[in-house]
Amino acid sequence: MAMPLKILAAAAAAACIGVVAAVFLHGNRLEARLLRADPMTIPDNTNLMLFATARGKPLFKTDCAICHGTAGQGDSTRGIPNLRDNDWLYGTGTISDIEQVINYGIRSYHPKAWNLATMPAYGTAHPTARDSQIPPLSPHNIEDLVAFLLELQGNDAVNGGGTDKTAVARGAALFAGVGGCYDCHGSDAKGEPAIGSPNLTDGITLYGDGSRAALTQSISYGRAGVCPAWSGKLTPAGIRAVAVYVYSLSHGTSG
Amino acid sequence: MKNRSLLLLGCGALTGLVLAGYALFTARGTSTLIVPPEDVALVNQQTISRTDYLQQLQTLFGVDLRHATPVQRRKVLDDMIREELLVQRGKELDVASTDPDVRGAMVHAVELEIAADAISAQPTDKQLMAYFAVHRERYAGEGTMTVRDLVFSQTAAETAARAAASLGSTAPTPALLAQWHARAGTAVGDEEFYFAARIHLGDQLFEVAEGLADATASAPIPRADGIHVLYMVSNHRPAPADFAAARDRVLNDYRNESISNLRIADAAFLRKRAHVVIADDLR
Repeated sequence: MAMPLKILAAAAAAACIGVVAAVFLHGNRLEARLLRADPMTIPDNTNLMLFATARGKPLFKTDCAICHGTAGQGDSTRGIPNLRDNDWLYGTGTISDIEQVINYGIRSYHPKAWNLATMPAYGTAHPTARDSQIPPLSPHNIEDLVAFLLELQGNDAVNGGGTDKTAVARGAALFAGVGGCYDCHGSDAKGEPAIGSPNLTDGITLYGDGSRAALTQSISYGRAGVCPAWSGKLTPAGIRAVAVYVYSLSHGTSG
Repeated sequence: MKNRSLLLLGCGALTGLVLAGYALFTARGTSTLIVPPEDVALVNQQTISRTDYLQQLQTLFGVDLRHATPVQRRKVLDDMIREELLVQRGKELDVASTDPDVRGAMVHAVELEIAADAISAQPTDKQLMAYFAVHRERYAGEGTMTVRDLVFSQTAAETAARAAASLGSTAPTPALLAQWHARAGTAVGDEEFYFAARIHLGDQLFEVAEGLADATASAPIPRADGIHVLYMVSNHRPAPADFAAARDRVLNDYRNESISNLRIADAAFLRKRAHVVIADDLR
């Protein structure tokens, strides 16, 4: 009777090792599949989505939640974008675009970071260090630009209404002229995802609540948000998993 | 009994060898045969990242992997392999020692690397508030003023004095200017930020204007181009910003200072560990 018990114990131990090895190998296989998959096709693959979101969620909570919040809701008082609303500044919100941001960051000093445009500080003597051609604006110019933006976003009523239509017209002229706003935000003010300039017509504001005061602050003192580069700090699989998790937050598949 | 022990020992050794072999041939940085899943190629053991490959595909042809043709995929891969080979050859030839562009790029890259390290450390609000408390004056809003600059001829000192005395209760109108034979100076007359007013007025006049209260006039200020009298319509002095309003700028400044400190420390460290011998005549 003693012999079969020992054999049974050895078999159980072997089975345990086998299960652990199988789980390890399966995990590795899924990880390899996740990395080799075309990022565009991952949302169509339920197994990969489940694996990646399960893996990405804890990494997000450890490394990203300190700024973006545990649910990815962001914080407009600090210019931290909401990752749940499917409104994207850099790129169009594909897994590939998100992965690019996580890998190399925004104004992170990584050579491959997104770093093409910075909101000038128009209420200062030198609005931007990069382009000496951009002139400072006067307080009235800034008021006119704010009036134009409030009108554009349909937020005039929210801000008390009664905006002077001539101020709106002057603001529009500044936007398309000497202010140089069109250069980054586009002549239709709809932004440019290739350089991370926001759409000014959709009512979604990264900084503040879209109020007159918040817009004045942004135009007067400029903006230059930063996201660190995680390349070299997280594994490639970890970065892909976080990218998939972030994608899932705005696509209702985060579980 | 002895056979079973040997059998178990053998099984254990075999499992160990299999695991060690697996790790040896697949671990990042040691694999010689298998391309890691996060990469698309190994060129003399140097990896070409899959993320970079996808990005290059997008940049060059504006397509993602799914929509790229085999020719496009091959072209991007070949280009990246060629680039890697040339970079490796460049290292062999030590081009950094002769090419100033390469040297400049390397210096820049190392500085970026140092800055990137500083950026990834997220300061707490407590640290930022402490920084804000020390540099509070930096975050005062820019003051604004609406000022009129009246210029009288050098021989009209009495008129200028009379005008300065009467301007407290009356704003300068075109009619008054005509009556006093004065002209408007370089101040725009519209509301301006302090920095712009300083540019328009010049340092001397700006310093006088800065101290004027609303609806007051300065004493006559003799200058080379005539006697100036400044009339302040409204003067909003720089108001200190609260932490919440300035947080964004505080964070940027805090980071920039961290980067600067880190660069200085790094340069000192490199210098300390280096063996530098300087020619006698330059010591």
